[in-house]
Amino acid sequence: MYLPDFEYYAPDSIAEACQLLSQLGEKAKVLAGGTDLMIKMKNEVLAPEVVVSVKNLDQLKKIEYVAGKGVSVGALCTHNDLVKCDVLKEKYSSVSNAARQMANNQVRNRGTIGGNISNAVPSADLPPIFIALNATVKLVGTKGERTVAMEDLFTGPGKTVLAQDELIAEVIIPDQKMTGSNYIKFGLRKSGALAVVGVAVAVQVENNVIKDARVALGAVAATPVRAKKAEDFLKGKTVSDEVLAEAGVIASGECKPISDIRASAEYRTDLVRIFTKRALRKAIDEGHV
Amino acid sequence: MKQDYSYVGHSVDRNDSYTKTTGRAQYTADLKFPGMLYGKLIRSTIAHGRIKSIDTSEAEKLNGVKAIITAKDVPSMKWGLSPARFDENIFCIEKVRYNGDKIGAVCAVDEETVYKALKLIKVEYEELPAVLTWQDAAKEGAPQIFEEYPGNLNTEIHHHFGDVDAALKDAYYVRTDKFQGQRTYHAFIENHCSTAYWDGDRAFLYSSCQSVHYIQYHLCRVLGMKMGNLTVRQTNVGAGFGGKLDPSGLDFAAVILSKITGQPVKMFYDHAETFLNGRGRHPMTMELTTGVDKNGKILAHKFDCVLEGGAYTGLGIASSYYAGSLLGVLYLIDNYKFDCRRYVTNLPPCGAQRGHGQPQPRFAFEHHIDLVGEAIGVDPIDMRLINARKGNSITTAGYEVKSYNLLGANKMARDASGWKEKRGKMGVGRGIGVGNGGFVTGAGFCQYRTDYPHSVGMVKVFDDGTKAYVYSNAVDIGQGSDTVLMQMAAEAMGYPYERCQMVTGDTDLSTLDFGAYASRQTLMAGWAVKRAGAEVKKKVLAKACEMLKASGRIKEGFGYLDGPLTPEDLDCVEGIVFVKQEPAVKLTFEEVARKYFVDHGVLLGRGWYHPGKLGGNHKGAAVGTSPAYSSATQVAEVKVDMETGQIECVDTWDVHDSGTIINPKLFHGQVHGAFYMGVGETIWEEVLFDKKTGKLLNGNFAEYRLPTALDMPPVESLTLDDSYEPNGPYGLKEVGEGATTPTMGAVANAIYDAMGVSMTDLPITYEKVWRALRDKKASGK
Repeated sequence: MYLPDFEYYAPDSIAEACQLLSQLGEKAKVLAGGTDLMIKMKNEVLAPEVVVSVKNLDQLKKIEYVAGKGVSVGALCTHNDLVKCDVLKEKYSSVSNAARQMANNQVRNRGTIGGNISNAVPSADLPPIFIALNATVKLVGTKGERTVAMEDLFTGPGKTVLAQDELIAEVIIPDQKMTGSNYIKFGLRKSGALAVVGVAVAVQVENNVIKDARVALGAVAATPVRAKKAEDFLKGKTVSDEVLAEAGVIASGECKPISDIRASAEYRTDLVRIFTKRALRKAIDEGHV
Repeated sequence: MKQDYSYVGHSVDRNDSYTKTTGRAQYTADLKFPGMLYGKLIRSTIAHGRIKSIDTSEAEKLNGVKAIITAKDVPSMKWGLSPARFDENIFCIEKVRYNGDKIGAVCAVDEETVYKALKLIKVEYEELPAVLTWQDAAKEGAPQIFEEYPGNLNTEIHHHFGDVDAALKDAYYVRTDKFQGQRTYHAFIENHCSTAYWDGDRAFLYSSCQSVHYIQYHLCRVLGMKMGNLTVRQTNVGAGFGGKLDPSGLDFAAVILSKITGQPVKMFYDHAETFLNGRGRHPMTMELTTGVDKNGKILAHKFDCVLEGGAYTGLGIASSYYAGSLLGVLYLIDNYKFDCRRYVTNLPPCGAQRGHGQPQPRFAFEHHIDLVGEAIGVDPIDMRLINARKGNSITTAGYEVKSYNLLGANKMARDASGWKEKRGKMGVGRGIGVGNGGFVTGAGFCQYRTDYPHSVGMVKVFDDGTKAYVYSNAVDIGQGSDTVLMQMAAEAMGYPYERCQMVTGDTDLSTLDFGAYASRQTLMAGWAVKRAGAEVKKKVLAKACEMLKASGRIKEGFGYLDGPLTPEDLDCVEGIVFVKQEPAVKLTFEEVARKYFVDHGVLLGRGWYHPGKLGGNHKGAAVGTSPAYSSATQVAEVKVDMETGQIECVDTWDVHDSGTIINPKLFHGQVHGAFYMGVGETIWEEVLFDKKTGKLLNGNFAEYRLPTALDMPPVESLTLDDSYEPNGPYGLKEVGEGATTPTMGAVANAIYDAMGVSMTDLPITYEKVWRALRDKKASGK
């Protein structure tokens, strides 16, 4: 448990950071909150020759609502920034609640959403709710900016579409027709536990009829995944316990979990069924919670 | 029996509360000495094998590396904690017996260099097949881990009191149930750390341990040193829970490396290494058979228990005996049979953990007896009331039990929890359960064989009387023993508690005590310092008598005195010496003590304690016999999510029959901590290993899931007013370990009440509950 030797840079601008990452290539790792990177380095899972800290990039620490664009969440916001943010509390408390369920208070004070997303752990708590809300991610690199859908960002455990020279700059939650959203995290204790299953849903309900639905599942596949068959099933249905239960059954058929020291695949699959149903009910009855 | 005391029974502040809460308290790892080197152990990376070669040449070339030692550089004498089973070497000789076993040690100028050096050391093995479960260890033709344990059988116990088979034949109802426990870990916050240096032929060792005496004894025995030449010292200790009683390997290495290098050496573990050091709770495989009459009175009980021991014995023999020896203290069982086997396996050694050997058997029995009661239609608490021991009695095994109010504890817990309104009436997914427990208040024998007293205490009053130093090598591992010992010494002296100071954690300066284990500290060290305080008081009263007479303030025949003033006419309370019949005639303790110092030199009081010959004559009676036994009842209320299996413990009650409570605040702290540990082991905690390689999988607090503050229910900690133990100083008995023994049973019984399925496999994880509920549904019951 000792940090290996490494070079350390703390660039003052995004351009400089991207330039460094481009030059250094595979040798470099980005340090934001450090709650994942430091542990991996201490446990000898990673041994980057260079650590590029992005802590000076203050422009990535804002959360704001931009008319016509949506809510923009800077990549260097910590989880507790999301928990405490009035804009989110007012518009999408489902997002602040998801952030609140992540890890423990110490980690939430340090860990950033950019880190949480780019780390691409299948059990991460924020991607499912962002995917349910159809969020996009703005990436910045030496060749400029690009925007990708959150659900297209992940390519496997620990893998994303980010190029070596790219940083996540912000997450944008677009204005919604969805009338409610909710994320349920199931961990093996009330704090400081990774999600065994995470289910996020967003629904558009009018006159008790489901016009649109998005269901995103965490910790049950190599990446966060949408349960598209369950979504299709829900569209046009009148809300009832039976419909929501059936959506849960369909969603549980769409996940591909593994068994590990925390839970069996079988258990995770059934938890998807249960929490899809429960999250839908919550989003339908209570809005963005 | 109850008296009005100045300090006993009062929640005085802990002596260390300010230094600890402000972060100024020093622990072993905080110590720094000029020229100090840093060291770590070289550990095995396979579960079982012969060491073919150890190549340290590359590491030795590394700048900053000062010494590397392996078995060839250290004495080969075996050590352990049970003299009958000394089977551990300082470093592995020829064979490694678990993934993490101790092969050698490195020290260097800084931590970074040590870690780098460890990577450069190459150990070649001839790998042997490993046995990772007791079932595999017990198989015919299984790989042998030790020559001295054929069939990997480390010990077996066969106790039979009365005639179980005959009694079972006559029983109205007989039931057998099987249970499985898991390996758990103490999870103390401060990892082991040992720092040593030499001065001529004398060595000094700072060790984060539970007994400076045992560490001193075992090190001197193996290293061939005179005990007077090895001083073991201690700073604050960040808990132990049973995991710091064995020498950790760091102790040996620090002393030897500092001798070789001529420099102080600090050896330390990180959390994963502390997991590998092991000594946590044994997984036990248990089968219980009970026969009862129509009313639920137990006629006979058979307990078959197998302990999975890990690689070495450590305290495992005691753990094995404790598994069966205390049941007969709790309940009146005339016919009792206990068969027990402990196997060695290729995993880190198991040992003692809070409640030592008893919590899993308590879990099994407490759940089993509920199932027995259910079958014959007797309420769980009634089952316990029918069978509970009463005080002033002798157990079937011959242990003498003085104060014992398990009946009162059950009744109080029943009434406080609203049991009658709740049990079986809370609806699906809600439940309430009860469990009983208790523990010894100190073991009757030293761990190695000696005729030493178990505790020696001393009080030295400072020259001018403004301070009293209380001497005892009792170990405050966070439980607050320093505080309660000073409370008792101050009470006995009649001196202000606030002006007492402990002299402890130093085998040279302070006085012998065997340390913090078997819930012995408050009773045994308590007697020693109480008696030391009483001797001081006696001297002070004699001197005060002399002073009063000389002063002319008291004349013979004066009013209230029949004859000349004698020390018996005086008393001393809170630093004031006064004539009992005329309290206005007084002197201060200070002035009397100062006069004593002028006339005689140092004012000293001495005390000691030996439990004497205690009850029980059978083989193994030594583990379980004690001067005093606590008893306790806990009631837990839970919610179970009938879909996901998630369990929430929502409320709990604890009644502990603990004799006189010396410090209520510390007492309740022990109850909360004990319940916390018990509920953690019931639902969340388990040490996991790779099933093929024996490699530790969750040696950290992210994946070894202790409950968090959010998971912990409120605990209502209650006491019995009339509890008084004649064998304890001021009438006290233990609380620290006993309070963790009822918890698993209480919580498991509450889970059963909530879901109607019996959970017999610890920990009762959410997934196991989910599976049990699914299976129940599938079977259509």
